[in-house]
Amino acid sequence: MSYEAIIGLEIHAQLSTQTKAWCFCEINTTAYENTKTCPVCTAQPGTLPFLNTKAVDYAIRAGLALNCEINLLSKFDRKNYFYPDLPKGYQITQFERPIAINGSLSILDDEGHEKKVGIQRIQMEEDTGKSMHMGDSSLINLNRSGTPLIEIVGEPDIRSAKEASGYFKKIQSILVYLDICHGNMQEGNLRCDVNLSLRKKGAKEFGTRTEVKNLNSFRSVERAIAYEWERQASLLDNGQKVQQQTLLFDVESGKTRVLRTKSDADDYRYFPEPDLMPLVITQERVVKIKEELPELPDDKIRRFVTDYSLPLYDAEVLSSSLSLANYFEECLTFFDGEPKKISNWVMVELLKLINEYNADISKSPVPAKELASLVNFVQKGEISGKIGKDVLVKMYDEKKTASEVINELGVKQISDTDSIEKIVREIVDSNPGEVEKYLNGKDRVFGFFVGQVMKQTKGQANPQIVSETLKKILSEKNE
Amino acid sequence: MKDIFHLHEQMKLKKTSAVELTQECLKNANESKNPVFISKLDDRALLQAQRAQERFSKNQSLSYLDGIPFTLKDLFITQDIRTTASSKILYNYIPPYDGYVSENLQKAGGVLIGKVSCDQFGMGSTNENTPFPKCFNPVNDAYVAGGSSGASAASVKENSSYYSIGTDTGGSTRLPAHFCGIVGYKPTYGRVSRYGQIAFASSLDQAAPLANSVLDMGCIIEHITSKDQRDPTQAPLGAMNLVSQLSQAKPSDLKGKKIGYSSYFIEACDSEVKKAMYEAIDTFKKLGCECVEIDLPHAKYSVSVYYLIATSEASANLARFDGIHFGHRTNQASGLEETYIKSRTEGFGDEVKRRILIGTFSLSSGYQDAYFSKACKVRRLISNDFKEAFNKCDFILNPVCASAAFKRGESKSDPFKMYMNDLFTIPASLSGLPCLSIPFSQTKEGLPIGIQLIGKSFQDEELLLSARAFEVRQ
Repeated sequence: MSYEAIIGLEIHAQLSTQTKAWCFCEINTTAYENTKTCPVCTAQPGTLPFLNTKAVDYAIRAGLALNCEINLLSKFDRKNYFYPDLPKGYQITQFERPIAINGSLSILDDEGHEKKVGIQRIQMEEDTGKSMHMGDSSLINLNRSGTPLIEIVGEPDIRSAKEASGYFKKIQSILVYLDICHGNMQEGNLRCDVNLSLRKKGAKEFGTRTEVKNLNSFRSVERAIAYEWERQASLLDNGQKVQQQTLLFDVESGKTRVLRTKSDADDYRYFPEPDLMPLVITQERVVKIKEELPELPDDKIRRFVTDYSLPLYDAEVLSSSLSLANYFEECLTFFDGEPKKISNWVMVELLKLINEYNADISKSPVPAKELASLVNFVQKGEISGKIGKDVLVKMYDEKKTASEVINELGVKQISDTDSIEKIVREIVDSNPGEVEKYLNGKDRVFGFFVGQVMKQTKGQANPQIVSETLKKILSEKNE
Repeated sequence: MKDIFHLHEQMKLKKTSAVELTQECLKNANESKNPVFISKLDDRALLQAQRAQERFSKNQSLSYLDGIPFTLKDLFITQDIRTTASSKILYNYIPPYDGYVSENLQKAGGVLIGKVSCDQFGMGSTNENTPFPKCFNPVNDAYVAGGSSGASAASVKENSSYYSIGTDTGGSTRLPAHFCGIVGYKPTYGRVSRYGQIAFASSLDQAAPLANSVLDMGCIIEHITSKDQRDPTQAPLGAMNLVSQLSQAKPSDLKGKKIGYSSYFIEACDSEVKKAMYEAIDTFKKLGCECVEIDLPHAKYSVSVYYLIATSEASANLARFDGIHFGHRTNQASGLEETYIKSRTEGFGDEVKRRILIGTFSLSSGYQDAYFSKACKVRRLISNDFKEAFNKCDFILNPVCASAAFKRGESKSDPFKMYMNDLFTIPASLSGLPCLSIPFSQTKEGLPIGIQLIGKSFQDEELLLSARAFEVRQ
């Protein structure tokens, strides 16, 4: 039977503030265990939370970028549950009245058409510590405890795995553009929960949903959706019911497993946090933050197409991450020619190397200025495009400038017409037999002469100039 | 016993000294049979006293509190000094930081004699809900000192300290002051930082001093009302400087003041308290006050409202005592869930468990609307009643309790009856209002009877000045 999937994503993003949400501890993921802690984030008796206003600004930024209404009065609530990495025994979150509501994000559906995904709410909350299980004991690291988070709750408007990962990618890119989240999924800066239910195509009612928790890559989101879709479909096909469950996705096996089955016992007993005043935001503050919002990916794509005459595809690839777009634009400041030339080199040659080394464009060993310089050499015909690729690899590996590598390799093209003409004359003069053949109509001999010139110049002669000069000199012989 | 204000003058004139006062308090504490202290800090206190004395000898005293011995209810966090909340679950807890109250009083030169007992986590009216030895009323050892800050009141009454900082969530300071015959003052909610006060019910808890006079309250309150950015619920009003005004207050200041009272509350008291209340009204009238009947129509729901809101907040506030991060951990468990259950079962007393259960229930999905949420709405109505009443009067006179001190052991039999005793103190707590209980009369048996004065929100100064004017009447 054919089903339609109803998919909604909840994305948790760690805010990249210097300090934690309720105390003045530095956020530092690489520090020694439990060294970035204080009485507040270890929940010592008698401590109280003190709201980090920077985190509020960041949440407002996210709300505005995702087209939300900002609630000028929002509240914090306690979500009660016991877990060792949650030392207070409750998480401070926003349940009843979150900071931002009713937003939307446009993505491309599977047919490539633009579609809107609703954002139900953005709520501020806090991260927990980390548990590490070693044999029969567990260790707790509270360095992460109290790190500010936003949870972006999407409407169940998504219908496919590709849409879901597209949505997640776009959220990631926006958060990084806003400079409010590092966006690194391996480090847990971003986590995604997928809610999925199936219904028969054309049906109005929703089926029972499952929730797959804590997915930390785009690929995992797609795989988890594909697996859940398949699993729920086969249950329904066999006349069985889908149980409302919370699941974990196992990256190794590609399967989901049950974390817990939802029941009435699942009760977080939310109630207003009495230790924090309601969060009042002035309209002026919202306006100011709105004015200071950076250019977002969609605007950037449009600008790249119109200002730089780039194809849409190039603009999208280059805008997919802020650091890549910045790199591209920095190159242009050192370059006079067509932006498309730079685009080709960045997208094809440089990204190939970056991906090969699993590196980060913002830390590229080839600075933007040097890439621009390399493309300049090619454009001026001082090196060939083919040699340029080899030069780039060497620049990348040895962290050298374009001209250093070109000099070292001695690959600079000879474009000086006089010296090329001198060489061509010598070769023509010392091969009268071949000249004869050429003049008798054996055009192939032209290639012989080119080959000889290249041999003598170790391939550095500009082929176009060689060919023009040869034609000129041979035609002189014909007179 | 002298006022802190006058002791300070005498110390300046070298007629007495910090060391002398401290030695006297320690002697009283050590000779007392009353188990008031959980941690007594003799050596540390003497050292602090010596330093204070040196300051006085150089005429560099820090404040009215410099060199004055005091005690802290064991709900106040003291760095490197065991802080138990009078419970088993924190019997071994040594805080790594200093709380606001402890820090500020010692910065003012206060000599910390020790940490005193209370009902565990501030839950109780008798100081009997504790695994530590139960303290009793210094006036008559057949009676309780009241609660939850019973030992704080006892330490002042038996001269083991000149003042104590207790906490008042629903009357925990006013009740023991009434039972022991001293002054207990709960500032407006939000006046004193709660940073470093172990939480029972966050929206109600307030640090509350107990002392021998209203004038002393002025000396103390100045040092615990500065703005502390670590408590976001504290009002940004700054330190209350009231000592010189208080020291000049006179009975005639009360002339023309309007005092509200509600017969509903007075009539609910036993005959001796009732008699004292009507005498108090007469006394105010004689001092030139106008006494008017007021109506607090929703106040009769306050006990129900309080025991839903306070317990709900407590159920979350006490979740951190789980045997994982600090405090008592069972050695009888294997696995996480069992560790939680057994540590908490062993560590909390019956009253605490009862309240956690009530609060957890009141917040549960399906019940929250009928209990917690409705209680929050009624709380608003009670506050509105007070606003209405204060249109007719400057402050409100109310009993502290229906009777004088309870007999020891009485509380065990009927917890609900115990809760009902809070009827007189809870309405002001729910509305966050400043209030204090001051000694007024006594029973035939000689047990103290206090009266309660309730002021307008954040008008603590007016309340204290009027109370002082009343205190110095002939």
